[in-house]
Amino acid sequence: MRLNNRHAKSMLAAEYVLGTLHGKARDRLELWLRTDPALRLEVNAWQEHLMPLATSLPEHVPHERVWRSIEARINPAAPASSGWLASLAFWRWSSALSAAAAAVLFGFIALSPKDQTFMPANGMVVVMADDKADPHVTVAWSPDSRAKPKLRVRVMGHAEMAPGTAWELWMLPGGDEPPKSCGLITTHDTQYIEIPVDMLRRLTNAAGMAMSVEPAGGSPTGAPTGPVLYSGKAVSI
Amino acid sequence: MSVSDNIDDLMARCVLHDQRAFQELYRRTSGRLLAVAMRIVRRRDWAEDVLQESFVNIWNHVPEYRRVKSAPMTWMTAIVRNRALDWVRRPKHETSSDDLDEMIANWADGAAGPHERLQMAGDRVQLDECLGQLSGQQRQSIALAYYHGLSHSELASHMDQPLGTIKTWIRRGLEKLRGCLESAGA
Repeated sequence: MRLNNRHAKSMLAAEYVLGTLHGKARDRLELWLRTDPALRLEVNAWQEHLMPLATSLPEHVPHERVWRSIEARINPAAPASSGWLASLAFWRWSSALSAAAAAVLFGFIALSPKDQTFMPANGMVVVMADDKADPHVTVAWSPDSRAKPKLRVRVMGHAEMAPGTAWELWMLPGGDEPPKSCGLITTHDTQYIEIPVDMLRRLTNAAGMAMSVEPAGGSPTGAPTGPVLYSGKAVSI
Repeated sequence: MSVSDNIDDLMARCVLHDQRAFQELYRRTSGRLLAVAMRIVRRRDWAEDVLQESFVNIWNHVPEYRRVKSAPMTWMTAIVRNRALDWVRRPKHETSSDDLDEMIANWADGAAGPHERLQMAGDRVQLDECLGQLSGQQRQSIALAYYHGLSHSELASHMDQPLGTIKTWIRRGLEKLRGCLESAGA
C-alpha cells in the first residue's frame, strides 16, 4: 500500500493510536514510523487529540513493590540492569568471578604453549561462569585480527551436552541491544569459531558473552530461547 | 498548568539521570498511567507489570524524549498503552469475551461514562465537544477501542454488530473527529 496521501496517513495514524490496528498491520506501521516524519507527526497529533480520554480516568495507586522493582532495574549500581542482560548471573557474581577468572586465565591462557601465537599481548577474554561463579568456558580473541578473525573457545572439565540440543554462543552488546549469535560450540576442549571482522570489532566493545542451550541446529528465532548456562564479561588481558 | 510545568522540569532532570526526579515523576503520574493500563489488560497484577516495564522503558529512553514533540504525559501514556496493547495480544493474556463484557459493565456501573468523565476534565473541552458531534455508536466504538484496547473483531462481538459496520463506525467517527478538531485549531 502506498502512503502518500495525508488523509490516509492521518486515518491510519488514528487507528494505530486508538489501538485497532493489529498484527502485521501494526508492525508495518511501526516500521513506516521510523522513516516517515510526517506519519510520526500524525501519530503525535492523534495521541494529543485523544489524551483527554486517558486523563479523565480515575487514578489507581500502584502497589509499593512496583516502584521497588523499577528502582532495582534502573539503579546504575547494576549497569546493564535493563532487558535481557538483567537475567544473567554475571552481573551479580562479578566480584566473585574476578578471583576465579584470574585462576582460569593462568591455567587456560598463559600456560598453553601451543596457542601462544594465537594470543597477542593485548588479547580479550571472556570467562563464562555458571550462577555459582564457577567457570566453565573461556572465549579468547585478538582484537587486532585483520583477516579471518577467530574466537578460541575452551571448554573446561568433561562437559556433557544433552542429546538433541546445541550450545550456542552469544555476544551481549550491552544496553538494550539484543544478544547476537556467534555460532554453536561443541564439548571439545579447544575449538575455534571464525567470525566476520565487524563482529570482532563489536565483540571487543561488548558487555560480555553468554552460552545458552538451544534445540539441535541452534536457536530457531535468532535470539536465545533456552536456559542460559554460562555468561561472563569481556576483559582485556 | 503548574502541574504539567513541574512534570516538564522533572523530565529535564531525568535526562540528566536524576533518579530522585524520576521517582517524583513516578509518584505524580503512576496513578493515572496504571488506570490506563488496567482498562486495557483488565487485571491489576498484569497492569502493574505493564507499568513497571513502561517506567523502565521511560527511564531508558528519556534522553530521546527531547526529540519527541509531545507533552510528557502524552509521551508516557503512549508508552504505557503500547505496552498494554502488546501484552493483551499475547495469547496467554487474552481474557475470554464473557469476562470482558462483565468487566466493561462493571466499569460502567457507578462510574461516569467516557462522555461524562470528559466533562469533568474541565480544561479539555475541545475533544469533548467534537466527540459530542459523533453518533452515539461512533463515539461508543471509539471510546471502547481506546479505553479497552479492543480490536475491530472484539468490538464487533461486544457490540453485536457485523465487522464491516464496526470498521465504518470507527473510520467515519475518526474522520469526523479530525475535521472537527482541525477546524477548532486543535
